Amino acid sequence: AIHKTVEHTALLAEEGKMKISVQSRSGKSIADLDVEPELSVRDFKKKFFGLKRKYYPSRQRFTLPLKAGETRATALEDSKKLSDYGLQSGAVLHFKDLGPQVGYATVFFWEYFGPLIVYPLFYFLPQYLYPGQAAPKQHALVQTLALGYWSLHYSKRIAETFLVHKFGHETMPIFNLFRNCVYYWGFAAYVSYFVNHPKYTAPGELQSKVALGIALVCQLCNLRCHVILANLRKPGEKGYKIPRGFLFNFITCANYTAEVYGWVCFTIAVQSIAAGIFTLVGLAQMAQWAVQKHSRLRKIFDGKEGREKYPRRWIMLPPFL
Amino acid sequence: LQSTDMGNPYLVLYNTVLCGAWGYVLYLTVQTYFLEKGSTRDVYKAVELPLKAAQTAAILEVVHSAVGLVRSPVFITAMQVASRLWVLWGIIVPVPGPTTSGAVVLGSVGGVTLQLNLVSLLVAWCLSEVVRYSFFALKELLGTVPYPSLWLRYSSFILLYPIGVASELTMAYLALPTIKKTGMWNLPMPNAFNWGFDYHWACLLVCATYLPGLPQLYGYMLTQRKKQLGGGAAKPKAKQA
Repeated sequence: AIHKTVEHTALLAEEGKMKISVQSRSGKSIADLDVEPELSVRDFKKKFFGLKRKYYPSRQRFTLPLKAGETRATALEDSKKLSDYGLQSGAVLHFKDLGPQVGYATVFFWEYFGPLIVYPLFYFLPQYLYPGQAAPKQHALVQTLALGYWSLHYSKRIAETFLVHKFGHETMPIFNLFRNCVYYWGFAAYVSYFVNHPKYTAPGELQSKVALGIALVCQLCNLRCHVILANLRKPGEKGYKIPRGFLFNFITCANYTAEVYGWVCFTIAVQSIAAGIFTLVGLAQMAQWAVQKHSRLRKIFDGKEGREKYPRRWIMLPPFL
Repeated sequence: LQSTDMGNPYLVLYNTVLCGAWGYVLYLTVQTYFLEKGSTRDVYKAVELPLKAAQTAAILEVVHSAVGLVRSPVFITAMQVASRLWVLWGIIVPVPGPTTSGAVVLGSVGGVTLQLNLVSLLVAWCLSEVVRYSFFALKELLGTVPYPSLWLRYSSFILLYPIGVASELTMAYLALPTIKKTGMWNLPMPNAFNWGFDYHWACLLVCATYLPGLPQLYGYMLTQRKKQLGGGAAKPKAKQA
């Protein structure tokens, strides 16, 4: 019975257009659209938005119905056309609402802006944040240098967000904004609380200066890695490329390498377990991302059908990973 | 491999043994508190050893998950086991006085005083664990689960989760004044590693995470219940078709 209905409504589509049936993944009908086959997915989403004003384009996710043997449905990409997916009149597309979305740059800005404000609070306002504890008249040199390094690091991150990074996606679910801010702002407070504590015991000045010096070098390496990654794709190019040059010749996620070593040096400079915990948690997350990226690149660049074979490289942390 | 084949014999053994252990703790609780009319302190004396053994053994479940022996997500399993271990080894064992004899009184219903105390905690824990372990034991042994066990697994949480969580928070509530006063497990500043630990604050933080945790877990179990029980008796029959 369903087949007959689809064929019947297909005959009613306008000349040169095809009818697309949008359904929820459970099969409930949402809307029917008459569209030209040459329409881009991006424009299709705009049309859908015209019908369903609640779902702006970045919230929309369309998938093709599962074929036999498939476990994951194919999602429609904005840059492709409807005809690229072999869609005929009467075809069904499944719709998923991705929930309220927020821009990548917006999330990056707020998650990095918090630490710029939160960390200095403990340095400048000990009388309020360490109630009942008499603070020494002057901060140790390392505490001041650490404040400078921390502020420089997060300023760099914000600058990169607007001047360097080319994001692979435009938006992410709004819950991520909340979750990421809790992480960054929370750890900023946690690290700062102990490093700027009235009872802080500074390690030797040489240890601090050398460690922070190396950390700065790591930050510059990290910046260079980010620039290389941003320039990987020429404007309009899609798809993954093999990163090359500088440390990328040896390590897939060299940017994470520099970042981790930077925080290790910071931890040595301030000699605080709190900074060490922050470093470890960041390391664990970056390692997870690095493994995913590395295996994705190895899967794509398999050396078959004229594709390059992904070279043998460390994933993130020679000689461990 | 048909769905009616036995799974891993080790898992059959593990789940059966733990089901028995928690059943034993429940038996001791009921006997001491309800039959012999003992106090909650008496209950603790009776169950202390098997309770510690049964609850600590749950660490194995994190291992099972990590090595892929069972399909549950490692992080969630680890969080659940960690929270139980914290209540037992971090609250009750170090502060046995207030926790095993104290109570939070909820009110009276028909002459019976309703309280959150060690016994409400043990009853909630024992019943959930017996239901859970028997479910997994039967699943490993038979390949499918008899409907009564399925029903219990996806229905008992409705009452047991709130009672269990409320009892766990009660234990913390009873122990916190002592934890604060004695400064137990505190690592004060100054020290060479510029790090401090205030156990009282850490406990408060853990209690705070219960607040978003329970609604999420509860909601998840409710959707699982709809999925597993929504088809009613039709589900087990469909497998044989």
